[in-house]
Amino acid sequence: MEKLLSESLNLIDDIINDTQAKNIGFYQSVLEMMSSLYKNSSLGIFFCENSDLTAKSILNKNKCLENYAINSKIAYDFINSKDKIKEIKTKKDEFLYSNSLFVKLAIKESVFGIIILSTDNDITDELKTSFLALAQVISYKIKDYELNEVFKIQLKAMQEAIIEKQEAYEIIKKQHKKLQELDKTKNLFLANISHELRTPLNAIIGFSQALDSKIFGDLNEKQSEYIKDIQISSLHLLGMINEILDISKLEAHAMKFSPIELNPNQTIQEVVNILEPLYKNKNIEIIFDPKFECKIQADYQKFQQILYNLLSNAIKFTKENGKIEIIQLKKDKTYTLKIKDNGIGIDKKYHNKIFKKFVHLNNVYTKNQNSTGLGLTITKELVKLHKGKISLESEVNKGTTFVMEFKNIIL
Amino acid sequence: MKKILIVEDNELNMKLFFDILTYQNYAVEKSYDGQDAYEKLKINTYDLIILDIQLPKLDGFSLIEKLKNENATLCPIIIVSACAMDLDKQKAASYGINDYLTKPIDINNFIQTVKQKIGK
Repeated sequence: MEKLLSESLNLIDDIINDTQAKNIGFYQSVLEMMSSLYKNSSLGIFFCENSDLTAKSILNKNKCLENYAINSKIAYDFINSKDKIKEIKTKKDEFLYSNSLFVKLAIKESVFGIIILSTDNDITDELKTSFLALAQVISYKIKDYELNEVFKIQLKAMQEAIIEKQEAYEIIKKQHKKLQELDKTKNLFLANISHELRTPLNAIIGFSQALDSKIFGDLNEKQSEYIKDIQISSLHLLGMINEILDISKLEAHAMKFSPIELNPNQTIQEVVNILEPLYKNKNIEIIFDPKFECKIQADYQKFQQILYNLLSNAIKFTKENGKIEIIQLKKDKTYTLKIKDNGIGIDKKYHNKIFKKFVHLNNVYTKNQNSTGLGLTITKELVKLHKGKISLESEVNKGTTFVMEFKNIIL
Repeated sequence: MKKILIVEDNELNMKLFFDILTYQNYAVEKSYDGQDAYEKLKINTYDLIILDIQLPKLDGFSLIEKLKNENATLCPIIIVSACAMDLDKQKAASYGINDYLTKPIDINNFIQTVKQKIGK
């Protein structure tokens, strides 16, 4: 009998290898092998699935065919009568019905199925013992086989998932590259636009300045007024062109930061001078302490631009005869700069949005103001280049104060 | 009278620079492209060049390069360009040109820069 068992074991191993290689029915092969051991017998393997028995494979070699339906019902009862694990342990592992032998397929205490042997001959004790031993071996082999199948399915799913992920990654990579190229094109385009717009603007500003300086003769009052209007509009246009160029520089990380030692009061004075036509036009008063003494480490052009942007904004949103205050504070090495106006103010709900690109606050006073919606975005970036922070305090109809804090820039 | 060569391809900008500098009592000559400027510079001597960068035939930087390679003595140059990128300013500085005005220019500043460079 031992010989029979070891032979069958080898056979099962062969079957497993074979079925794995050729992908033929494992259970069918197992039953065929067994039927060669137990001549003229019918065999069936059933699995417990959702409190039911499902035939995995049936091999009919004799006339017991019709019994299988009954047998499987009996088999079902056989397993279900012992649904408590402990009971199974204590009770018999096999069951004999007519000339059919029912044996549990189980791993340790958990029953997962049943194997049935039906034969025309008598079922001897020897046959019973060998079949029981074989069933135990087969239980483990089935477990191995099923685990292997599950593993194969999981492996396949994983491989597919990996391929899918790789494909998605490739697509994202391509799109990212495309976007980068588009971004480059956009920035180049903006730089070119800036160049193309500057050329005619040079003639407009230049000729109107030439007329305004009266080097080629006097102008009458109206002509003088119009020339000033042309200059104001041109400056406005130039401001917008500069903003477009700046944002493209910032986005391309092409903004150079070259700090020097400077006197902020001097820079404030310069910017106020540049803006004179704008604030004088609205009779706005700009106040700052000319005696404030301080030396800071800052990029001259960018610091000037911060002031220009915030002051021109303040002028824009302050009504005629209004007042703008420039407040400077120094404490330890921290330089604080405040631009305070008594203009129309900004509603609290916009305070977070205001530094974002292309934000125009939709209100009566701003409707007629030309702007790119980039000024404050650029200002914030320029402040950041100086490792500073910008925030605002504002209330509708009371005015706005932009507060900038630059740590460690005082020399 | 100091001689100035303006190299500028835009007709109106040329007219503006020419009128302003002529009014300031300089002898001004016009050149509309880099190649023409190169030929003028080979024959004549000038006290100052007002140079644009983007020019037909030969751009401003190539013109400077060409003259430098031929060991020609370069007169002072003021670059007046519509290109506001920092890179161009750095490039100009690498040629030893620190007077770089970005269009649109402020004419008072322009006259001032010219005067500082070559006097009246």
